[in-house]
Amino acid sequence: MVGGVALSLPRYEVLPHTADTAIIAYGATLFELFENAAFGMFDTMFDLDEVSTTRSRPIVAAGDTVEELLVAWLSEVLAEAETHGLAFSYFTVDRLEEGGVQGSAQGDPAAGLELRGPPVKAVTYHDLAVVEIPDGWWARLVFDV
Amino acid sequence: MGFRRVADAEWELEPSGGMLVPGRVYASPALFERASADRAVDQVANVAHLPGIVGASIAMPDIHWGYGFPIGGVAATDVDEGGVVSPGGVGFDICCGVRLLRTGLSLPEVRSREDLLMGELDARIPRGLGTGSIASASLVGDVLERGAAAVLDAGFGVAADLDRCEERGTSPGAEPDRITRRALERGSGQLGSLGAGNHFLEVQVVDRVEGQAAAGLGLAVGEVCVMIHCGSRGLGHQTCTDQLQGMGGAMRAHGISVPDRQLACVPVRSAEGERYLGAMAAAANFAWANRHVLAHEARQAFAAAGLPTDGMGLVFDVAHNLAKVERHPVQGRDRTLCVHRKGATRAFGPGHPALPPDLRAIGQPVLVPGSMGTASWVLRGVEGNPAWGSAAHGAGRVMSRKKAKAQQHGAVVKRGLEDEGIAVRPGSVRLLSEEAPYAYKDVDEVARVCGVAGLAEPVARLRPVGVVKG
Repeated sequence: MVGGVALSLPRYEVLPHTADTAIIAYGATLFELFENAAFGMFDTMFDLDEVSTTRSRPIVAAGDTVEELLVAWLSEVLAEAETHGLAFSYFTVDRLEEGGVQGSAQGDPAAGLELRGPPVKAVTYHDLAVVEIPDGWWARLVFDV
Repeated sequence: MGFRRVADAEWELEPSGGMLVPGRVYASPALFERASADRAVDQVANVAHLPGIVGASIAMPDIHWGYGFPIGGVAATDVDEGGVVSPGGVGFDICCGVRLLRTGLSLPEVRSREDLLMGELDARIPRGLGTGSIASASLVGDVLERGAAAVLDAGFGVAADLDRCEERGTSPGAEPDRITRRALERGSGQLGSLGAGNHFLEVQVVDRVEGQAAAGLGLAVGEVCVMIHCGSRGLGHQTCTDQLQGMGGAMRAHGISVPDRQLACVPVRSAEGERYLGAMAAAANFAWANRHVLAHEARQAFAAAGLPTDGMGLVFDVAHNLAKVERHPVQGRDRTLCVHRKGATRAFGPGHPALPPDLRAIGQPVLVPGSMGTASWVLRGVEGNPAWGSAAHGAGRVMSRKKAKAQQHGAVVKRGLEDEGIAVRPGSVRLLSEEAPYAYKDVDEVARVCGVAGLAEPVARLRPVGVVKG
C-alpha cells in the first residue's frame, strides 16, 4: 500500500470519449475513491506535479445516494475552484456518511498555470457508476468539457 | 442498433423496449457510419423513453456522443399530455450559441490591418481560465431578468442588434431568484468572456454564396464577418448542476424512470418543471447578454485597429442548447410542445411569426460553425422542416481530444493554420490540437445534408482568417 492505495490500483485512468472527458477512479476505501476522483478531475486539466497546496477550501456536499454524493462532492470542488480561481491538487475527505460528505481541497491560484486538458464545466450523471470490488472501490465519471 | 435507411439522408429505428416513439437520424451514409462508431445512436434510442415525447427522438447530421442526449439531439414533449422537460436535453452550457456579425469590409481592407486587429482582439477578448470579463458583475442581476436588453441599456452594442437575435436576446419566463448564490459566485465575474474548449471568436470571409438569400442577409462573397461561439459560462454550468441535484428525488416522486440518469426529467407542468424552466431562462439571459457584450468588444477592436465600424451589423444570433415551449402541429392538431435542442439550432422557415419582419421572406438564419481552420456555414430555415423547426449546430467531433492531441502538437497545428493564412491567438497553444480540424466532421457535408434532408438550406460559406480561442 502506498498512501492507503493498493499498489495494483492506479488513482485514476482516462477512458475514451469522443467529445467529453471520462475517467475511472479507484480507492481502497470510499473516502479514497472520493479523493482520487477529485484528483483525477483536476489532473486532466493541469499537471498537478506543478501545483502545491498554498490554499485550502472546505468542501461540504449532500446527496441521497452514493452516486449522487460523489457527483455533488466533485461539483462542489469544481465550483470552489472556479469561484476562487484555484487549481486543486490535494483532497481530504474527513466525513462521509449517508446524505453528506465533508472534506477539503488544497491547491494554488490557477492564473499562470498551463492547461493540459480542457477545463471541466460540470460533472455529469451519464454512465455514472460506483462499484465495490475486492480491493476497494471504483467509479466511472464523465465530465462535460 | 437496428436503424434502417428510409430516405437519402434519413435513418429510422423502430420503437422497442421502453421506447415511446421511433428514433430518427438525418445523415448521409458517411455521417451515419461515423455516428454509429460510438454510442451516439444508442442515446437517440434512450431519449425516445422520455415521458410525453411526440413524433420521434431526432438527431441532426452533426450527431455525436454526448451525455444523456446525443449532441445534435432534438426531442419534443407534449406539455398538456404529461410531457417532461429534461435538463440533460439542454446541457450544462445553457443557451450556448453562435452570433454572426457582418462588417461591410473587404478582405484586403482587413488584411491591411490584420496584425493590429488580431492584437486588439487578443488583448480585449477574455478567454481561458480566470481571465476576467468585459462587463461588470453589477449588471448580472438585471441581465438574468432581461438578457441582452440589460447590457444594451448599460451601453453595450446597438439597439438594432436585438432585432436579429432569437427571442430578441431575452428568454421569456426568467426567474432570477432560481439562480443560486453558488451560481452567482461562480459566474458573475464572467459577463463578457469566451471560456475555453471549442468556444471561439473568428474573423471570417464569405467565400461562397448559394441562391438569392445571402443578399437578403447582407452577405456577399469577399465580405469579412465575425463569428462568436460561447454560452452562459460558470453561471449556466452551475445552474444545470443545481437543478439536476434535486431531480433524482423529484423523478422518484413522479414515478418516472429513464435509461440514463443524465436524462433526468420532470413534467413541464409541475413545480419542479416550472422551477427548472425559470432558472434555465435566467441562465439563458446571461448567455444572450454574454454574446452581445463580446460582439460589442469586437466592434471596439475593429475601431481601435483603425477599421471603420459603421457597416458592422448583426446577421443573427442563435442558441443551440435550449428547451423552449413552442406551438407545432402534431398529427394535424396544434399542440404546445417543449422542444429540446441539445446541440441543435432552431430553424424556422419563411413566414414564421417568431421571425423579425425583414427575415420573414427568407427564413431564420441558421449558423453552423465548423472546426477551427475549416469553413462555417450560414443556412436558412425552410418550410416543412421535419424536426420541429431544427437544424444542425456545428461540425460534430469524430475524434476524442486525447487522440487529437496525440496526433499533432498544438504548435504544429498553429503553424499549419498560419501556413493557410489563418492568424491564431490561442489562450493555450497546448490545447489547440484538441480542436484541430481533423478532430471534426466535414462541415460542408453537414451543411449539404441539412439541405438534402429538408432541415435548412445552405446560403453562404465562410472561411476563417483569424481565430481567437480559449
